[in-house]
Amino acid sequence: MDTEKRRTKEDTWKSDELKKHLRVSQSDSQSEDKKQKEKKLQRDRETQDMVDYKGYVHKDQDKDRGEAKERKGERERFKSSERDRDKLRERERGKDHREREREKFKEKIQEKDAEKAKHITRKDKEKGSEKEKDRKYRRDDQKQMLKQNNLRTHGEKDKEQHRRRESKDQLEQANVRDEVKERRHTERKAKEGKKSERKNSVGEFLTMKDEGSGHRHKSHRDQELNKDRERSQRDKREHQHLVRAGKERPSKQRSHELFVKDGEEKCVSRRPKEGFSTEDRERQKRENNEKRQREENERKKRDLKNSEHNKQGKSLREEETSHQYERSATDKRKSNEAEKKADTRQRQNPGDHVSTGKPMQRQKSEEELEIIDNYLTNYEDDFEDYEDDFDDDEEDNDNEDRDSEEKLREIPISKKSEIEEIQRAINAENERINIMPPKKMQKEHEKEPKMERQDSPARGSLCRMFMDFEAANQRQTNRNMASIQKKRSSELLRLIDLDFSVSFSLLDLPPVNEYDMYIRNFGKTNTKQAYVQCNEDNLERDVQTDEIETLEKWTQHPGDSVLVSGGPRRSNDVSIDVAVTPRIDSQRLTNFLRSACQVIAVLLEEDRGATQPRWNLRSRQTSLSISDSCFQLNTNLLFLHGRKVFCLHVSQVQRQALLSVHGLPEKPSVIQLDRKYIICVWNVWQPSSPQKVLVCEAEVTCCCFSPSKATLVFAGTMDGSLVVWDLREDSRMHLCMKLNETDWIFRAPTFSTDGVLSSLNHSCPVVAIESISTSIYKKQNYELSHLSSQEEMSGLSFQIASMDENGTLNLWVAVELQKVDLAGSQSDLGLIPGGKVKLVHSSTLQLNNSLFPKAILCLTTPQTLNIKFLPSNPNHFIVGTDVGVVSHGTRHDLRVLPKLFKPQQGGPRSVRANAVDFSPLGKPIFLVGCSDGSIRLHQMTSEHPLIQWNDSTNGQPVIALQWALTRPAVFFVLDASSSVYIWDLLENDLCPVAKQIIQSDKVMTMVVLGEPEKTNGLLGIALAKQSGIIDIQYVKKKWALPQSEESEKLQLLLQQFL
Amino acid sequence: MEEPLGLASPGDTYSLRPAFRHRFRSSIVKECIHAILKENLANVQYNPEETPQLTRSLSDAIKDRLKEEGFHRYKMVVQVVIGEQRGEGVNMAARCFWDADTDNYAQDVFMNDSLFCVVAAFGCFYY
Repeated sequence: MDTEKRRTKEDTWKSDELKKHLRVSQSDSQSEDKKQKEKKLQRDRETQDMVDYKGYVHKDQDKDRGEAKERKGERERFKSSERDRDKLRERERGKDHREREREKFKEKIQEKDAEKAKHITRKDKEKGSEKEKDRKYRRDDQKQMLKQNNLRTHGEKDKEQHRRRESKDQLEQANVRDEVKERRHTERKAKEGKKSERKNSVGEFLTMKDEGSGHRHKSHRDQELNKDRERSQRDKREHQHLVRAGKERPSKQRSHELFVKDGEEKCVSRRPKEGFSTEDRERQKRENNEKRQREENERKKRDLKNSEHNKQGKSLREEETSHQYERSATDKRKSNEAEKKADTRQRQNPGDHVSTGKPMQRQKSEEELEIIDNYLTNYEDDFEDYEDDFDDDEEDNDNEDRDSEEKLREIPISKKSEIEEIQRAINAENERINIMPPKKMQKEHEKEPKMERQDSPARGSLCRMFMDFEAANQRQTNRNMASIQKKRSSELLRLIDLDFSVSFSLLDLPPVNEYDMYIRNFGKTNTKQAYVQCNEDNLERDVQTDEIETLEKWTQHPGDSVLVSGGPRRSNDVSIDVAVTPRIDSQRLTNFLRSACQVIAVLLEEDRGATQPRWNLRSRQTSLSISDSCFQLNTNLLFLHGRKVFCLHVSQVQRQALLSVHGLPEKPSVIQLDRKYIICVWNVWQPSSPQKVLVCEAEVTCCCFSPSKATLVFAGTMDGSLVVWDLREDSRMHLCMKLNETDWIFRAPTFSTDGVLSSLNHSCPVVAIESISTSIYKKQNYELSHLSSQEEMSGLSFQIASMDENGTLNLWVAVELQKVDLAGSQSDLGLIPGGKVKLVHSSTLQLNNSLFPKAILCLTTPQTLNIKFLPSNPNHFIVGTDVGVVSHGTRHDLRVLPKLFKPQQGGPRSVRANAVDFSPLGKPIFLVGCSDGSIRLHQMTSEHPLIQWNDSTNGQPVIALQWALTRPAVFFVLDASSSVYIWDLLENDLCPVAKQIIQSDKVMTMVVLGEPEKTNGLLGIALAKQSGIIDIQYVKKKWALPQSEESEKLQLLLQQFL
Repeated sequence: MEEPLGLASPGDTYSLRPAFRHRFRSSIVKECIHAILKENLANVQYNPEETPQLTRSLSDAIKDRLKEEGFHRYKMVVQVVIGEQRGEGVNMAARCFWDADTDNYAQDVFMNDSLFCVVAAFGCFYY
């Protein structure tokens, strides 16, 4: 089915051709329609000659013929060229006829003419299965005819124009003739029906003398010549237009040849029948001979031509033969023969001058019609397939193979050897082509169609025809497949959805980092990498580090509940072991421990003293007459060696707390402390060692405890500065020394005013320092303050009064800092890093200006020596001076009376009031001990003393004087000769009741110990001796134990003094 | 592309979905690919001259193997890429315009010290 392959081009070509052709034929038919109309008119005219034209079918044929003859005769007068034209026309007539018939056929088909249909069906039946092939052949034939027509139509047009010019009549006549023929044909069809064609053709052959036979006879030679000329011309033309005409032309020739072969025989066979022919026969014979000769010549010429254009001729012949061969079936052959005969007869006509007799003529005309009919039927068949016929070329090609095979069989007559040669050449070429690369072939294929048309004269393209065939097959199949696929896809795409998939990642290979690359390369060079790793990754290699031990614990802060911390005891122990922490009030515990420790320590010491006689200090001091027992504070310590005790102080609240101020050692012993003064804090019940050891750079002249609690120690120095120690400070803040296998902490001052508060500071040695206990004052004025209790709790609501020699009294407030700065304070420069207590200056009083009268001041500036605050009202204080008077002042600079407490006799004199002391039991009386040995007892309300004892010490200056704490009428006096006097005013108000001279060592100072709240009768005096020993003597019970109504008795006594 | 012409005459009915057992299952295909790669590339060192031949033979082998698996009416496209391992990063991806209901693909990667081999097999159902 190669047909589709080239359809487009050739279709167009053919359709063009067809259109042209059709146009021509249409114009023909149109012109003929015109003619017919004219004819009708003419016919009407001719009806005079021709009676009843319509009814005139067979019987009046003679007449018609006669007319025709007449017309011919007329025509013969015209030029020979016209005759040529006639001849042509005769041929063309066939064609025109055919075309007309075609149109007719169409009409008929449309009209569904029953007869025609029958006829066709009959034909179809006759042809049977071979019909297809036949049709092909016919198509070829038709195409050739078409081509020819195309050629001729040009000429025809000219001719027609010419003809018109020549004479209308003639034209009309010719047309009438055609018309008649047509009619006859149709009528005959209807009439004769199934009459055997063969028979008809044979039977009527003899009678087949054309109308023009007459003129042909006459102008035979001319005709012959013309024919020849025409032929040669045609040949030429055909050469020029070989593509179109080439196929057709040889077939004509061929048929002509065949006719020459067949026709002669027939002519011979016919001759006997034609025996009755006229005198023309001789001429005919001669002419026949001539014709034969001429035809032979022609054939020779043609052969030559064939040999020249070998391939062309061959192929053409092949086509012919194939066509013939295809009609192998007998029926076919018959019809074919008939056709051929008709064909040949038509052409032969000029040469066949058989008879001009009327019956013959009639038969002839009939036969002619029959032949035409044959043609017609053929063409009708062709017409059926007409629409499918556009692709004949391929079929040609198809057939060619077969043709080449059959060629030998079919045409044995023609030069076999030649054919064989050609075949060989073809085969060779085919082989070559097969070898050729397909691409080239393809190209050539594409060129092929054009080349066929253009270069067909050379016919060198025959070989390409073969290529064309194979490639065409291929292409055809391809195209078929493509179309099938296309159809498939179009059908399938309706059913399925195509979509883009997600893009799949086929490979994602990250670039290797440098280290891995290095390891990879380096690892190949016969080295190994060792692993060092912790347990964490836990790869399969051996772990080189020990397993880490872990244990889970938990705590909670703040620990509100009993459970504060816990966790399994071991890592593999699941059970939770909760550590139950008892709830502790750490402050309470601390307090408890502190006090308990002291108790325990005291108990232990007592126990040790009892068991170890060496420590039994009391027994040693039993020598004193005034005391029941005595003991020594253990000052036999390395750092206290060779230090004199300048001062002693006992806390007013905690009576067991004792301060001892030690001076510089006479000979250096411990280097670090040689330049420092030392204050020891003692607990008298624990005499083995001091509680705290305080060190100071400057010489300490006086010291005191904080009033409510003995936690702070204040000291005044020779250079006028005040120093504070906070005994609660952590021992780690201070210097620690190991002396005699015991760790001693030497506490540096927590705060010092030295150099810090220079404008406010004392500019001369501080002689006295006193703490002003507000608590005592508040106790006295109980109802006044509710706030006092809170202040008391803070423990620091007190003032410190310091007085220097020049009578400057400074009041300080001790402030406890809430925040501890271990790095040292920026603002408080006197504060030790980490210290909490500092002194803030409160006020300054210049006692000299306010206290002393101008009489005294004009003489000398009195030197103040000591100061005491009235216990019942701390706003009042008394100051001892070196002019023998004691001045009375208040903190708020109020004027109070009496201003001065003077001795009984005389004015101001140079007597130092070395000691003053208020009665501890709340009575507003005080004692003054003077350097001249006199002792005065003053009451606050009077300037003069209640009583004055002048010579009780034999003129020895009184160094210390102090009331006994347990008995209101007893006091102790120490004079410079180390004698201790005990006065009991109720017993003897003129002289001391007892006198004890301590001879072994000079007593530097004395202080009274005792607990007035307890009635156990313990009243002791602490004697600081020059050697540094501190003796504590418990005086005898008779002076120590309070007696009944002592205060009243004393009151009475005092009133007596007044 | 030529072979199935006989199957599809215009009047044919089309099977729009493969039978379940003939479905292109990527797990199976992947196993096949993996086996073949493992067998053929186990100790192969990269050689630029032999690689083209190797890829061709591999793809043919895989294709033939897949044909034995009986994915009826499936057209197989096997792509084999072999590259040298030199530490460079490589990223390959594919995208298909197909009928996701029937068509599928399988992919496997083989790597040794000197080369990597990526095989992608696409199965397209022929309706």
